[in-house]
This record gives sequence, structure tokens and C-alpha cells, in this order.
Amino acid sequence: MKRSPREHLSAIGRIARWEVSRSAGIVDRRTAILGAFALLLVGAVLGGGLLAGGVALDRDIYRVGVDAESPYHEPVERSVALDAREPSPDALRDGDVDVLLVDGELFVADTPKGRAALSEFRSSVRAFNFERMSAEENGSAAFPVVTVLQYVPRSASLPDDAFAEGDGEGGSGTGDGGDSGGGSDGEAAGDDDGGSASAGSSGGPLGVPALSGINPLSSGGSGSPADIQPPFPFGSLVLAFAFLVPMNFVVQAYGSTMLNERINRRGELLLVAPVSPGDIVAGKTLPYLATMVGVTALIALGVGGSLVSIAAVLPIALLFLAATFAGAMFARSFKELTFVTVTVSVFLTAYTFVPAIFANVTPIALISPLTLVVRDLQPLESVSPGAFVFATAPFALCAGVLFLLGTGIYREEDLFTQRAVPLKLLDALDARVSRPRDVAVLSGLSIPFVFVAELLAIAVLFALPVSLTIPLLLFVVALVEEVAKSLHVYAAFESGTFRRVPRVALVLGALSGLGFFVGEKFTAVAQVVGLPELALGQAAFAPSGIGVFSAAGLLFAPLALHVVTAGLTALGAMRDLRWYAGAFAVSVLVHTAYNLAVVTYLG
Amino acid sequence: MGDSGKPPRQPPREGPDPRWTIARREFGSLRKEKTILLALALQLFIAAFSSFLVVGLVSLYDPGQVEGYEVDVAVTGDAAGDLIRASREVRGVDAQFYRSEETALRAFHEYDATGIDAVLVAETRDERVFVRAVAPDSNVQTTVVVVQLRDVVRSFERAERADRAAYLDDQPLELPPEASSSPYFAFTYTVLLPLLLFLPVFISGSVAVDSLTEEIDRGTLELLRVAPLSLTDVVDGKLLAAAGLAPVQAALWIGLLELNGTSVSNVPALLALVAAMALLICGVGAALALLAPERRAAQFLYSVGVLLVFGGTALLPNGPVTAAARLAIDSAGCADYAAVVALVVTAVVAYGGVRRLVNGLDADDL
Repeated sequence: MKRSPREHLSAIGRIARWEVSRSAGIVDRRTAILGAFALLLVGAVLGGGLLAGGVALDRDIYRVGVDAESPYHEPVERSVALDAREPSPDALRDGDVDVLLVDGELFVADTPKGRAALSEFRSSVRAFNFERMSAEENGSAAFPVVTVLQYVPRSASLPDDAFAEGDGEGGSGTGDGGDSGGGSDGEAAGDDDGGSASAGSSGGPLGVPALSGINPLSSGGSGSPADIQPPFPFGSLVLAFAFLVPMNFVVQAYGSTMLNERINRRGELLLVAPVSPGDIVAGKTLPYLATMVGVTALIALGVGGSLVSIAAVLPIALLFLAATFAGAMFARSFKELTFVTVTVSVFLTAYTFVPAIFANVTPIALISPLTLVVRDLQPLESVSPGAFVFATAPFALCAGVLFLLGTGIYREEDLFTQRAVPLKLLDALDARVSRPRDVAVLSGLSIPFVFVAELLAIAVLFALPVSLTIPLLLFVVALVEEVAKSLHVYAAFESGTFRRVPRVALVLGALSGLGFFVGEKFTAVAQVVGLPELALGQAAFAPSGIGVFSAAGLLFAPLALHVVTAGLTALGAMRDLRWYAGAFAVSVLVHTAYNLAVVTYLG
Repeated sequence: MGDSGKPPRQPPREGPDPRWTIARREFGSLRKEKTILLALALQLFIAAFSSFLVVGLVSLYDPGQVEGYEVDVAVTGDAAGDLIRASREVRGVDAQFYRSEETALRAFHEYDATGIDAVLVAETRDERVFVRAVAPDSNVQTTVVVVQLRDVVRSFERAERADRAAYLDDQPLELPPEASSSPYFAFTYTVLLPLLLFLPVFISGSVAVDSLTEEIDRGTLELLRVAPLSLTDVVDGKLLAAAGLAPVQAALWIGLLELNGTSVSNVPALLALVAAMALLICGVGAALALLAPERRAAQFLYSVGVLLVFGGTALLPNGPVTAAARLAIDSAGCADYAAVVALVVTAVVAYGGVRRLVNGLDADDL
């Protein structure tokens, strides 16, 4: 049954309209009343909470024994995390306080908590001093030091005039000073070097609120060293999180409607209609995608994000939907679906949000599209096209592959059967393999997932010392790549798609290795953002021939490796699960050894 | 539930409580689908990911955590001597005197040869010292360098202020000594632990909603009419299974944290808090599942409500989240124990409300 693209589009449109009208139908009066009640309750709780003093997870976690007469009583009272207690001499020994101040002497409990409390105490006294000095009349005595911070790019090739071209980047500004003589002075200091001392706080010209109440590192501008802010995009980060929150809710509804089709054979009618499974999936997904895009656009409008923000969030939205769709295809019950959606939500939220914290610090942050949003929201940052592709392409491709896999089992024999999630996954993989060359295609398609998994490994490991992490990382890389090259081969053998003879297994392994080798070349995008400059990035990507091999002869070394290891696992997969596991372990070892050799001798 | 076709059990004469039967069946289906493993794996992922990255974050912001890393600063200008003296108070900084700004900047640009990470130019003008700090742009070490520069200039400011003390009305307080403490300590108790304690509660509530809506959706609740069970028994059994899981998972996490060297205090109070929270949330979930006409509506109302209520109570000075943090870190006051008791009472009252609601419902109408 061949149909024109127009017929496809009209079918998709029809299903989308039907999905919308059906979803609107479930919002009856009872739901509306319950919803209104929930909102009212939430409003009351939020209002009460805000009146009580805002977010403070660390409220009163340390106790300081300090006399009410002591000058240190006020800083303790003002600090959120510190709780002032009676300074009885026995309190420290009994464990009732963590820091004790009696007669000008300071006693600290010899525990991690005591040290943490002391460190908190120190910073609260510092903040208190700063406020006290701000109230002083003699400005030059209260703030004898005026500081300007500049960020200067350091290029080894231009030592002489690098400084001249390097400013204008903006820094933590001196501001205008609340004190009497500071205003003009701050300006004078800025003039020295071409006015590079522009205000660098997050409350920039693009209307990003400074959120100074929450940011522990920011405060008003006075030119005091206390104002220096390490580059930490706190405000933008909070706003970027706002993009993620609505997605968690949309995917819940989406997962439900997808699983609904599978319960009591409800989706059967739709399946026998003259539309393809792809049309059904596209039609049912469209309203939810549209909702997400609409909400994203609204949020972008609200927080001052540009089109870049929306374009960067779109792949995240797609991946949320795709993963939920695949989950709904695999799950057996609503309970299982809930676990799957919660897993997907938490994983994606963590994966996108946590690296974005490092947006200004390291290129690793670019593994998350949310980093682009954070950079977009900051006044002085911009997003390069290479960085954009690097951050968004893996997400978009993963989403595409997941939709492809899920649509493959959108057919009667799979929709209405109950099988465990791993078996369903194998079914979905097998559904895409009918000829030997499909094995190569599927290996290539696994690249986005491999890429994401390896980036995740880099992100998790980069904090540890390099000598420890590189071997560990190389092992993880080998593990991930071997899974990607062999799982669908195993699925195909299990379902009896291919004959279980060694010759077939070797051919499939070679094809799988070849497909993977070709797909791997696309990871060259990692070079665009300078990830290979990091030791770990280099270790992860060097074995695939990126950035290190210049000789043409060596170009095919990775191909040989992939063909050999994929052949090994295919031979194991041909027999049964136990053989597969054994062969898999051997090929991971071979792969790790190869990776180590490459990194040691050529890296 | 795939096993709804099983023949109903024999009516227990003096056998176990039918509610236990339902609860056991719920556990069985969770175990069979292995979803509980997925949930635990998920929590493990959260704990690992956030811990790893926070350790990374800490090492970026607190160079004291990175052994052997030193920031080399080129200092120049007429106040350079005082600045270098002040820098000795800061750990991990090596300040070197340079004759002129030009040579200092050259050293900064020829980083590979000189190892200079930053430049400080201190000049005295109008009774003040103007310090210009130059840090490398977009470099992995930028944050560490800036934090160290700030500490140096702060220390310098304190010294300069002390010299001018005669002109001040109020003297600044002397700072308590520096402590080598990891900022990760507070994070463990205020973010990680509450997250690990309350995520199981949230998941349990979801399970309660799902297992009820699913029975309604598949029409299997009608089958229960032939069994010697009332609707109340069914809901009770499902609540027991769902709400019972959360404290068990919480206990598991507390045990793991202890193994990891994080001591958690007031464990019974924490478990009571989690159990009360679980009963409350599962009760609300069950009520929503019975009142809302469709799963999507029930799940949506549930998750919006619970997330926002969790968020909202985090704002309260004695909400469950902050109370849990203070209990675990052993800083609990009477107010925190009162919060636990209040929550237990609320949960029991809410549970009573759910029972009344269920008694008033007819299984046929669902």
C-alpha cells in the first residue's frame, strides 16, 4: 500500500486532532474541581513557605553556643545555617552545640560537622563585617582596597599585544560604590585599560533577574574584594531549569495515552485503519510535542531567552518524548510505565542539568543542550554553531532512533503481548533486522547512544585524578561500544532471523563492525568544541581515530578492531546467552587493551 | 496485572487478614515486573551522579581539596610588598614580585615557561589601594584562580583595614580560624539525604495511584466482588504494600550512607517521618485514583500536587525536608520532633479520611 506524502500528512493530522479532542474529553467537572482544589492547596503552602522566609534547605543545621551579649551573637543569628544556643560549658561535650564561644575563647567539636560549622561561622562573620563596613562613614578606611577583575584570553603566540586586544571581555565590576568617595575611583580604575570593568553580575542587559537573594556568591557592588564572583552562572541555571520542569508533566500524559492503546486491545481499531504505524505514532505524538514547544516558547519569552534557547530545548523535548514512547511500548502495566517514566525523567533531568552547572568552566558542560541555554541567557556569552551541533545532535539522533525502534514494534503481535522489558527491547531490535546489511545500519544508528554514554562517563569521571580515570574510562568505552555492536546481533539470532552457523555469525560481526566504524566517524564533531584538549576527552575519542591518526594506514586500525571484536561476540551470540556473555567479556578485554595501547603509544 | 485471571482464593475462615493477601499480591507483581529493581537502580544513579559531580564542583571551587595544586600569582605595583605579605595567609597561593606591569603580563602570557596563573597590580592612590586582578579567560582553572585571587585580596583588605582602624567607628569582628572542611558535608545532609528519603515516597504514591487506576481501567475490580473482600480491604492492602516500601528503601539508603562513612543520627525518627509521609502521599494518591475518572488525570493531579507540596514544604522552616536534614545531622530541636509527630498525626487522619471515602464508594460505579 503506497501512499503519497500528502495522504500521510492528512492521516497524521487526523490522528492528532482525534488525540486532542479525546484528551480534552477526560477533563470533566470532577477533574476540574480536583485540580482547582490542588492548586488552592499548593498556593496556600507556597504562600506560607514564602512568608516564612524562602528556600533554605540548610536552615539551622549547625548549632553555635554563643552568649546573647557577645558581639558574635548577631552574625550567628543572621546566618541561616547557624542556630544560636546557650553557651553552657558542658554543651560541647554533650554534643548539644558544634561550636562554643565562651569568654572570647573558641571551642570546636572535633568532628566533620564541627569543622563544617566553623567554616560556616567564619563566612557568616565575614558577611557581617562587610555589612558593618558598608555602614561606615569613612569610605576609604572601611574599604581601603578597590578591586577590578579582568578575564584575559591567553594565547601563547601573541605575547606582546595580546593584552591590548584581550580586554572588553567584561569582568566582575567595581560598580559605583555605596561609599562616599568610591564612585569616581572605581571608574578611574576601569579607564586604565579601555573600560573593561563593565558590570559582570548576572543582572545584565538582557533582563535576566539577578536572583541575588539565593546566590551565596553575589552581593551589591562596592569595589570591595568581597564582590569578586567566580564565574558561576547561578541565575541562568535556575532559569534553565524552568525549561525542564513542564516536560516531566507532559511526558506523563504522553506515556499514558500510548500505553492506553495497548490495554484491552484498544489500539486494534486504529491498527486496522488504513494508516501506517508511523502515522499513528506521529499523529499521537504531535499534540504533545506542540505543547512542549509552546510552553518552551512561553518560558523563553518570560526569561529573555532567544531562539537559540528554544532550538536547544527542542532536542531535549524530543528525547523526553522518544524515551517515554519506547518505555510505553516496552512496559507491561501502568506501574511499570511509571517506573520507566520516572527513570527517564530523572535521568534526562540530571544529564541535562548537572553538566550545565559547569557551563562557564569546562567544555564538558556542552554534553548538555541546557548549557547552550545557560550561555544564551548570559549577557556576554554566545553560542558557536559547532557547540550547538555538538550539544544537540546526539539528543536529536537518540530521539530519532528510539522512535524508530518503538515504531518497529507498533504492530499487533507486540502491542498486545506481555513480555519483560529486556525481551521487548530485543524484539524491538530484531524488528529492525531482516537482512544482514541491517546489522551494519543498526550498529551505525547506535552511535548517538554510545556518544552520550561515553560523554556521561567523561562527565562523571573528570573530577578524579587522570592516572586513575583514563584506564577506567577506556574500559567503560570498550564496554559501551561492545554492547552497541553486539546486542542486535544477539537479538536477531535469538529470534531465528539468521541461521546459527559460524559463517553467518562472522559475516554479521564484520558488518556490525563496519557499520560502527562508519558511524563513529561522525563523532569528529567532538573536535569542534575542543573536547579532545582535555586529557579524558582525548582518551575517549583517540582510539576511534579522531585527532591522532594522520597516516592513512593507521586509519583502518579501528575498523580491524571493530570487525574482530564484533565477530567474536557474534560467534558467542550464535550459541546462547552464556556463550554470548563469555565472548562479550573477551571482546571487552581485547578492546580495552587496544584502547590502552593507542592512548599510550600514539596519544 | 497479568494474573487477574487466577481463580479467587478460598474464603479465609480464620486465615490471614485479606488485606495481607492483597498486599502480598501487590509485592508479587512488583517483584515479577522487576520494576522495584529499576527504581533502586534509579536512586543509585541519582546518588552516584550527584555525589560525583559535587565532588568535582568542590574541587573546582576549593583548591584546598586538590592536593598539590598551587596558583602562582605575579604581583606588581607600589603596594606589592603588603599584598605579598597578605597572600601568605592564603593556602595554595604562591605570590611572586615582578618589577613592572609589563613583565608581569609577559610572564602571564608565557604561561608554559613561567607558570604564572594570574596577575595582581596594586597601586596606591587617594588613600586607597587599587588592585587590578587579571585572570585567564575561559580556562578550566579560571574558577580556582579567581577564588584564590579573591582570598588574597580579602586578606589584603583586612590588613589594610587594620592599619586604618583609627578612622572607623565600628571595628570589624575578628574572623574565626579557617577550617579545612568539605562543602560536600552540608550537601550530603541537606540535599542528598532528603532526596534519597523522599524519592521512594514519591514513587510509592505513584504505585498506589497506578495499581488502583489499573484495576479500574481493566475492569478487574469487579472480579473482587466475588472474592470475600470489601473495597476497603482492597484499598488497604494496596496502601500497605505501597506505603510499606518507602521506609524499607529509606532504611536501605541510610545503611548505605553509613557504610560510606556518613553517619546518620535519629534513624527511628527519620523512618517514622518517611513512613508517615508515605502513608499520607499514598492515601492522597489512592483518593485521587478513586475520584478522578481516568489514569492520566489521576497521575497528573498526583504528580503536580505532590511535587508542588514537596516544593512548598521545603520552604517551611520546619517542613519535612529541613526537619529530615536536621534530624540526620544531629541538630534537631524540639520543633523537629514536633514536626515528625504532627506529620504522623496528619497521615493517620488522612488515612481515616481515605477509609471513609472508600466506605462511601460502590465498587460497581468505578
